[in-house]
Amino acid sequence: MGSRFFARRLGQAILTILFVLVVNFILFRSLPGSPERILLRGTRISAQALENQRDKWGLNDPLLPIDLRIDDQGIRLVDFPASLTDNQLVAYVESLAQLDLGLSFQFRGRAVADVISEKLPPTLLLFGIGEAIAIVIGFGLGALAGWRRGRPSDYVGTSVSLVLYSMPYFWLGMILLIIFAATLRWFPTTGMVTPGADFASPVEHVIDVARHLVLPATTVALGLIGQYSLLMRSAVTEVLAEDYVQTARAKGLKGDRILRDHVLPNAMLPAVTLVAINLGYIVAGAITVEQVFSWPGLGTLTVDALRTRDYPMMSGVFLVLSISVVLANLVADMIYGVLDPRVRT
Amino acid sequence: MTGEVAAQVFTRRARGERWRIRARQLRGILRQFARQRSGVLGVLIIALFTICALVPDLLVGPFESVTRASGEKFDSPSPTHILGTDELGRDVLNLVVHGARISMAIGLMATIITVAIGAVIGIVAGFNGGRLDTILMRITDFFLILPTFVLALVLAPVLRELLGEGSEFFGIRVTLLVIIVVIGITSWASTARIIRSQTLSIRERAYIDRARAIGASSGHIMRRHILPNVLSLIVANTVLVFAGSVLTETTLSFVGLGDQLAPSWGQILAFAQSSGAPGIGAWWYTASPGIAIVLVVLSFTLVGHALDSILNPKLAGRR
Amino acid sequence: MSAEADALARIVRRAGRTLPKLADPSAPLLQVTDLSVRFTLAQGHLTAVDGVSFRLDDGEALGIAGESGCGKTTTALSLLQLLPSNGRIRSGRVELYGIDLAQKSEAALARYRWREISIVFQGAMNALNPVIRVRDQIAEPIVIRLGVSEESARRRALELLDLVGIPTQRGGAYPHELSGGMRQRAMIAMALACNPAIVIGDEPTTALDVMVQAQILALLESLRWELGLSLILITHDLSVIAETCDKVLIMYAGRVAEEGPVSRVFTAPRHPYTQALLRAFPNIRADRRTLDVIPGNLPDLRDPPPGCRFAPRCTFAMDVCRVVTPPEVTMADGVRVACHLYPTPDAAVVEAPPIAQVGADAPDDDVDLSADNSNLRDADDDTPADEVQP
Repeated sequence: MGSRFFARRLGQAILTILFVLVVNFILFRSLPGSPERILLRGTRISAQALENQRDKWGLNDPLLPIDLRIDDQGIRLVDFPASLTDNQLVAYVESLAQLDLGLSFQFRGRAVADVISEKLPPTLLLFGIGEAIAIVIGFGLGALAGWRRGRPSDYVGTSVSLVLYSMPYFWLGMILLIIFAATLRWFPTTGMVTPGADFASPVEHVIDVARHLVLPATTVALGLIGQYSLLMRSAVTEVLAEDYVQTARAKGLKGDRILRDHVLPNAMLPAVTLVAINLGYIVAGAITVEQVFSWPGLGTLTVDALRTRDYPMMSGVFLVLSISVVLANLVADMIYGVLDPRVRT
Repeated sequence: MTGEVAAQVFTRRARGERWRIRARQLRGILRQFARQRSGVLGVLIIALFTICALVPDLLVGPFESVTRASGEKFDSPSPTHILGTDELGRDVLNLVVHGARISMAIGLMATIITVAIGAVIGIVAGFNGGRLDTILMRITDFFLILPTFVLALVLAPVLRELLGEGSEFFGIRVTLLVIIVVIGITSWASTARIIRSQTLSIRERAYIDRARAIGASSGHIMRRHILPNVLSLIVANTVLVFAGSVLTETTLSFVGLGDQLAPSWGQILAFAQSSGAPGIGAWWYTASPGIAIVLVVLSFTLVGHALDSILNPKLAGRR
Repeated sequence: MSAEADALARIVRRAGRTLPKLADPSAPLLQVTDLSVRFTLAQGHLTAVDGVSFRLDDGEALGIAGESGCGKTTTALSLLQLLPSNGRIRSGRVELYGIDLAQKSEAALARYRWREISIVFQGAMNALNPVIRVRDQIAEPIVIRLGVSEESARRRALELLDLVGIPTQRGGAYPHELSGGMRQRAMIAMALACNPAIVIGDEPTTALDVMVQAQILALLESLRWELGLSLILITHDLSVIAETCDKVLIMYAGRVAEEGPVSRVFTAPRHPYTQALLRAFPNIRADRRTLDVIPGNLPDLRDPPPGCRFAPRCTFAMDVCRVVTPPEVTMADGVRVACHLYPTPDAAVVEAPPIAQVGADAPDDDVDLSADNSNLRDADDDTPADEVQP
């Protein structure tokens, strides 16, 4: 019954990831002469040695299973090659399978994969907590607003949500920083831990991180709360107008039971969809929020890579971020499939 | 009158009749719109910023480039500099008013690209159905799921390299052009979806079948019957897309893709960040462009929602 | 029937039930007196139900009939105070076993909802929660209202499903997995969950095709006899009432037009509206080429005309009709009418000629149902027909 739905979604996710891989690959190999030019930046090298280096790095192999080559003249279609596997795309996929994302320019040849795995946990921490807060508070407020319509607080809530929705995430972060960190000095202004601090116990370490986490996480949460509460409010309002809610009233069920058993299970459906759709957009927010607070995560990494033209790093980050979002969407889709029996048939 | 002349007169009169009906509908829409206070407020704010965008020199004088800074560094707001100065001594109000043109122009052009792609794909997919629809929707879904911001982030430098930094196309610097193009080709997916579902519902209507029965071609049907009915939805959607484009541009500029010589509001914020303004509490520098952004995005959102509730047949019944 | 026989019948019928604590054992099952319901709109008030009275006895089936918008559904919903937030019972009594439900608060009313009176809503498509399995929805009131264990409640739910003709294997299905007819049956099973005294059916068969309609009606009939249920059937379809009900209440514009035993009202209708309604039904055996309609529209209930509300459309309208509201008079044969043609219980039945005939010039084998075409629009289209160009 339901397995076809899940299988289909999984298939789509895999297809999307493959597409991401190919796009990633093409994008970064298509810069004229870039890989070796930048890798060998500044070093003097003879034309022959350059050719040898290119050969060593497989840069003279055909780019794709169709013979598309990259050299000084740009991209050219040469011919259909003898073998389908002797090309850069396949080499790329192979190296990916071994979790080799290349070497960073910026970090003097450190493996991109290493750097990324170092910077990933702080991002997940910030992101995860921000999203969790937003879901709990945003959906909670929204559901409450929808349940008790018509109060003046409803109007205020909607207005506030609209304003929050119109703000760039990071700007809110900057303002919070100015008010609470620079002026009031309640929280530190940058980073994840106080630099050079010596912690007597893990608990102290956790508290220090928590202090640094408050402002950025609040920023992420606030950016989302607006949307979530607006959506939940309208979802609950719509559900309340449905006939089965009237049936529930007619059955003599009490208010909170109706809310819990009938309204919320149905109102959650568009909410889950929104969270899933948002995952792609939050990445933008996370990147810039990290920038504002100098949070040592993938976001700052991306911006630095951009600045220093560290293409392997950018390519690696793009890959990791895109795949994460695709996977997160898959999970959200699965959750939706569990919540709504109608999509399973 | 001979048959031919009569037919011509009839067609011309019919065409005139059509425009009269359209004008009447338009007036009705405007009247409904005027009744929504939020929408009207939005229009007023947009008008204000449009003026800033069109004639900034009239309002605050010429743009203060680095060499023409008029004040002390990081001066807090004072009678001479109502919004204070930046790290180079430039008047922040001056920067913000001139930034209006950049931000809104980028937003406008990116929106045109977004809506053009989205509408075409939406109408073609919705109208044709079948295989084409499935393929187009797969592509659309791909763009919906993908973190388009990251895609924009990686596309931008690649495009910049390809097109050559510092050069100009059609009088627009590459930096700006790249941002416009990148926003355009990554944001069309939700527009395509909305237009497609509207097209689908129109396609089911009787007069499409009638048009087909008398032999009208697909292109003709799409142009003459579907487009006018989808147009209102496109308009409402365009306004919302504009709001989104401004936000995206702000974010892209903030991470370093903006043009430093013609700073948009996002670029001003980038300057603020990199000069350490938040850390030393120079709130005026950070707050001013941000408030401008919020006002513009908010007003377009309000107008877009107001239009949506009037024009979207699904929402028009409920209030 | 004599009063003692009545009382005896009542005691017998109620023998199997536990009456609510406040119940008066000698009171009729349901007595609605002078019920008025008002809605508050943006532009003022609308009295949807204006002084409606009727009585329902144990085991009886009452049909409430009338055009859309005449107030029948509102009447039914108001019995359990299930009106939307802008609706309120303005006056009148709704006495269940003598207990006035109209005076009860929401909390106090909960005792009577579903346990004494339950409703089968129109269009079970939306009346069933799409994310909960059918048997769980039926079991829900049994567990919560009757305090039974989940295990036994589920068993009872399956029993009920069986009773209404749904195979128990389908019990675990979700509403969207059932056909329209089965969904309606499921709603009926759900309505029976707490063993109510009265089941209200709001257009229970309107959304279904004729074959399924017949099945559902047969089901309701059999349930009535098996369980001793009382029914209130709300419908605009007179044939349903003719088939299933003992009494019929004809409503027009929020008021009672005529009420009485089905056999009397349908064979010798008194009120001009009733006559026109019956006439409007195409007779499959008669040699007709035309369709009788009632011209005009329902009055705007925000600002109803004085006097009889049917007067503007009535062929017998007299001057008094437009000024004085006709009082309800109970005729000798037990039929209640509100019409100036019947001022006393012994007034004779006035037979009205057809009010209007449409398509009288249509050719032999053609039934012309066309009305004025010029304001035809696409259902969900704002553009008028002349907007369309080939």
